[in-house]
Amino acid sequence: MSTEDRGNRFLGPVLALPGIVWLLVFFLAPLYVVLAVVFGGLDPIFRTAVPIWNPAYWDTTQMRYVLEHIVGPTGFFGPALLRTAVYVVTASLLCLVIAFPIAYYVARLAGRWRGLLLALLIAPFWISYMMRMLAWVNLLANDGLVNRILPGQVDWLSGRSEVVVLGLVYGYVPYMIIPLYAGLDRLPQSLVEAARDLGASRTSAFFRVTMPMCRPIVVASVLLTCLPMLGDYYTSDLLSGSPQTSMVGNLINETVLTPGQTGQAGAFVLLVLLVSLLPMIYYVRSVSRDEAGL
Amino acid sequence: MADPRLDRRSVLRTAALLGLGIPAAASLLQACGRPELTASDLRIASPDDPVRWTIQDDNQPIADGLSPESGPLILYNYADYVAPGVVKAFEKQYGVEVKISTFNDTDEAVQKIRTGSVPYDIYFPSYDQISRLVAAELVQPLNHTYLSNIENVWPTFQNPWYDQGWQFTVPYTVYSTGIGWRDDQVGDVATLDNPYDVLWDEQYAGSTAIIDDWHTAMAMVGLRAGITDVNTDSARDLRTISDGLSAISDATQPKVTVSMYSDLPGGQLGVSQMWSGDIVNAQYYLPKGQSVDVLRYWFPEDGKGLVDNDLMVVLKDGRCPVLAHLFIQHMLDEKNALRNFGFIGYQPPQRVLDTDRLVADGYLPENLATAAVKQEWFDSSYRLLELDVANDQAWHQVWQQFKAGG
Repeated sequence: MSTEDRGNRFLGPVLALPGIVWLLVFFLAPLYVVLAVVFGGLDPIFRTAVPIWNPAYWDTTQMRYVLEHIVGPTGFFGPALLRTAVYVVTASLLCLVIAFPIAYYVARLAGRWRGLLLALLIAPFWISYMMRMLAWVNLLANDGLVNRILPGQVDWLSGRSEVVVLGLVYGYVPYMIIPLYAGLDRLPQSLVEAARDLGASRTSAFFRVTMPMCRPIVVASVLLTCLPMLGDYYTSDLLSGSPQTSMVGNLINETVLTPGQTGQAGAFVLLVLLVSLLPMIYYVRSVSRDEAGL
Repeated sequence: MADPRLDRRSVLRTAALLGLGIPAAASLLQACGRPELTASDLRIASPDDPVRWTIQDDNQPIADGLSPESGPLILYNYADYVAPGVVKAFEKQYGVEVKISTFNDTDEAVQKIRTGSVPYDIYFPSYDQISRLVAAELVQPLNHTYLSNIENVWPTFQNPWYDQGWQFTVPYTVYSTGIGWRDDQVGDVATLDNPYDVLWDEQYAGSTAIIDDWHTAMAMVGLRAGITDVNTDSARDLRTISDGLSAISDATQPKVTVSMYSDLPGGQLGVSQMWSGDIVNAQYYLPKGQSVDVLRYWFPEDGKGLVDNDLMVVLKDGRCPVLAHLFIQHMLDEKNALRNFGFIGYQPPQRVLDTDRLVADGYLPENLATAAVKQEWFDSSYRLLELDVANDQAWHQVWQQFKAGG
């Protein structure tokens, strides 16, 4: 075997090493800690979580408690989980409706304004999410600007689902615009031009060429916004504060520091992880199919 | 079966394997260094069963007459729960720096204290944590020779039932839990047959709140239903409380928060369960031009409601125990206590404060005179106690169900 062959043989593992270490330290290790807490024990006095590292001694009590209280007559977690799904799906769709035209315009039609528009799109990231939500608290307050402009007095911050959903949309729409822009910017213009040369109208070329090529970009962008939304709790806390708008993130936040319930917080984290895996698998399969097609 | 609990070696090995790093391992080792306890080690203090805690050989008070350390002194407290001016005066007097770390609730605080990751010197808990803090040896016994200002506080706190002989605790503030409202939005709550009913009144849906504290909120629901044992272990009582929480959720969808001190004066809320200290603070959050007359507070005149007190304790892992004693002495000083009251709104149990004259002396506006806490209430009111493990779990489950919005 030549020196060059030996070099090539080691190059792949060496290049993969940082990624593997990253996954081990920042994904697998924390996941194992969560498992050790979910299936761990409780301090008898403070009822705080005592992680058990050896799977042979794992106790399923906390996980069973969560699962047993999702559906049925004692299923008091169920509504919050369902509410989370409805809020996240609705907010993601609204984000897509808002973000796609903006990203499409900036990526393909903005011309010399592209740089400025891109900077403006990134601008919300300069202000923390919490601050932006607090700004809405002021705007939606009873004596806030919104009530002063609109006719009638509305208690916007009194536990309204629509306010929480709109808060999620406002908070996460930049997270969708940026990846959509990055993807749309890299779409091959030549295919669209070929479609036009072959007689397709602008609309037809958009729906029959651009849109199918956008599918993995859209899926990735929706995923990028869905995942943090699933764990979000402060939007509901700040814009509602009512248990009637509790999401799974609120359940996690509430249980994680409550004596005796930390393991349940871990169980919710695992549920969110499992739910998140489904669209991730769809995305990976979708991308693989597209690549095989090419 | 082998004991699955942690030992030092397995913790170190696992932490290293998982890449948790030295800080995490050190914290866990710190936790392992605490005494091994079981639920039976927990003795619950109550007015009917006062407790004098045993001082352990390995947890003795500091010696008399020691010089203060060079600092910094680290306080562990709620946000905005100590007056900066009073802290600055201490810094100036002793030439040391005082750092303030904050927590959102005491459950979170105790978890962090137990890790030993930060050497907090003074912690400001409620009295309903003291048995756990003492049992786990997280607090240090006090040396009374440094604390002559204890003479300034109400006699009941010089020998409290939760810490006979005040071996570990000195009182910080006293407060009642009642109902605060805006009289431009809500009728006179005090004239209702059962004033707690106002929180269930559908006409105030969307402008109602209860305190985001499981025991305080659930006890109020119980009191409304006539359950005066606010630490009940009766399954029937807990069902009644659970039903009450469902009913309030259906009727008014209350906000569950601790920010009523700003939400009520801001007009977001019309009526709310409130701590007396928060309604006092609320006057400072009124919009410009709004008169303080709009604020009202109700607490049972006979004192048959919830009254509580917060404490100052010296933590065992602190690095400045002498400074900690001197700071407590500083806070018990009459002038400093009153100055602190002026900032935080929560009343210190100082003898010098004539609770019948708080309005005349300018501490409270006339319409909030009901927020004054009286010493005699501590003999007749209902006290939130530490609960045993099983009962604590039962209460938390009811609260969890309510908070899930299910």
